[in-house]
Amino acid sequence: MNPLISIKSVTKSFTKGTTTITPLENLSLDVPRGEFLSLMGPSGSGKTTLLNLIAGIDTPTSGEILIDGNDIAKLSRAQLTRWRAEHVGYIFQLYHLVPILSAYENVELPLLLGNLGKSERKKKILSALDLVGLGDRADHRPSELSGGQEQRVAIARAIVHDPELLVADEPTGDLDRESADSILNLLDTLATKHEKTIVMVTHDPKASASAHRALQLEKGQFIEEGHLLTHA
Amino acid sequence: MLPFTYALRNLFRDPSRLAQTVGGSAVVVLLLIAAVALNQGMDTVLSASGSPQNVILVGKGSEESIERSEVEISAESAAATSISGIESKLGVLAVSGEIAYQAPITTASGVEEQALLRGVLEKSLLVHTTVSLLEGHFPGPGEAMVGHLAHRKIGVDKDDLAVGKSLKFGDTEVKISGRFAAPGTVLESEIWFDRNDLASLTQRGSLSSITIRLAEDGSGSIDDVELFTFQRNDLELSAIREDHYYDKLSVFYKPIKIMTWVTAALVAAGAVFGGLNTLYAAFAARIKEMATLQSIGYTRVALFVSLIQESLLATLTGTLLAFILAYFLLDGRTVPFSIGTFTLTLTPTVLFSGLVAGILLGTIGTLPPAIRCLLPSLPKALRSS
Repeated sequence: MNPLISIKSVTKSFTKGTTTITPLENLSLDVPRGEFLSLMGPSGSGKTTLLNLIAGIDTPTSGEILIDGNDIAKLSRAQLTRWRAEHVGYIFQLYHLVPILSAYENVELPLLLGNLGKSERKKKILSALDLVGLGDRADHRPSELSGGQEQRVAIARAIVHDPELLVADEPTGDLDRESADSILNLLDTLATKHEKTIVMVTHDPKASASAHRALQLEKGQFIEEGHLLTHA
Repeated sequence: MLPFTYALRNLFRDPSRLAQTVGGSAVVVLLLIAAVALNQGMDTVLSASGSPQNVILVGKGSEESIERSEVEISAESAAATSISGIESKLGVLAVSGEIAYQAPITTASGVEEQALLRGVLEKSLLVHTTVSLLEGHFPGPGEAMVGHLAHRKIGVDKDDLAVGKSLKFGDTEVKISGRFAAPGTVLESEIWFDRNDLASLTQRGSLSSITIRLAEDGSGSIDDVELFTFQRNDLELSAIREDHYYDKLSVFYKPIKIMTWVTAALVAAGAVFGGLNTLYAAFAARIKEMATLQSIGYTRVALFVSLIQESLLATLTGTLLAFILAYFLLDGRTVPFSIGTFTLTLTPTVLFSGLVAGILLGTIGTLPPAIRCLLPSLPKALRSS
């Protein structure tokens, strides 16, 4: 089966003044559908840069990023925005919920980009909130939720439009162990039961151990491939 | 597009910022309304004060100020008999020799203020057709008739110039015999004396001007009046159409109007820069939120529109507040100036100017902070604190 993500010889360079920084150089990677992949590495190793490239947040200097066969590196800024709206769910370390909106309204945001009717949207939102265990918190604002609950709302927002790809940047980085474990279980469920392909950046070895596969990045190169977990 | 409620709710995210934006835009719009109303009021009163059917004879070289003009008393009868096509009523020709004078007047309450005085005879009503008596009667010897806005020009209570009360010109007391209206003209701010009284009080042996009303059937024209001034160049007169005289005065007041605009613009600029500063701070705090929405799939244009909606809501609320304040503080208020008094009116033009200002504040004023908020690259914006 074709991998959902296929990265071919990707290089990403930034120019800062007269200095050129290359956080990723000639990197290649395949991620099969339904895999929960963890990217680890020290600060500046290029893991968030890679995550942003996979999510269509950033574009590579050279190389191909094929997602479901489409090279998103060739898309314009506007095309990338549209592509993200349909194909990606992004989970941030600090949740990035809109503080003035309720959990329900935050989860609704990706659906407002489509053509769904109000009742159809409501069904999807409540279903996503139920999936993350927050069906009874729909009317709460982010300030009325705990960190773990906020991250669950953020996950519901990331999955509500049913994207095939979820990217998570340190999703447990700001949570206590109990909440972090619960979020990791949720991500695992999304990958195994709902066939979402998940790419997660983390510093936490325990979080990384929850993934099906862990890759270690250093200076823009993979240096070690970790365990491959089998799930029932 | 983001739902409108997002922009609406964002307004209340920071109540102090909302208050600043609404208050700032209200001040700017109110100032602009005041400036437009002031200019429009002055223009209206000056244009309404002059009739194209009236011609004024003034002393040569005094075409720009009747008060400085001197015309021989005999010129009045000479003009009446020599010029054809003059309006007449019941056999009386509409030719009115008048004295215009500015002098301090002491009211019944003891207030002494500069007033616009006009020495007239009853036939002046034939040329000043907008004048109508509201109460009392035309002034005879020892009497004066006050325009119904004269108290505003002098700066006293209306009751201070009520019919039956007295005025003092120097040591001479005159009784107020009547009150008149001349809607929308500078005449309403004047005090009319018996011409002979004013001549002796001011120790003048001449008139200031002669106003001639040309016949409504078109049989007379300014050319006839000008011909008279050429034929009788011994009288050293100039003829000027009354409406042109006030048009020229309007030019004379142009620097005042410019000053009004400059003052309004300076205060508005201060408010705009203050508002920009507030918006910069408010939008800078939301760079990450905007980036998150972009990562979800919202375009920059959609977010920009939402920011503009948010600002427009605030500035239009400010505009509405300015309209309400203007209604209570400005509308109908009379403003004295050197030759009369004009009324501030919230005309559709004035309100439209305020609305345009409110819209411009919400759009153009929002552009720099909105662009600054949406300009950073997505990865950089997502990392911002």
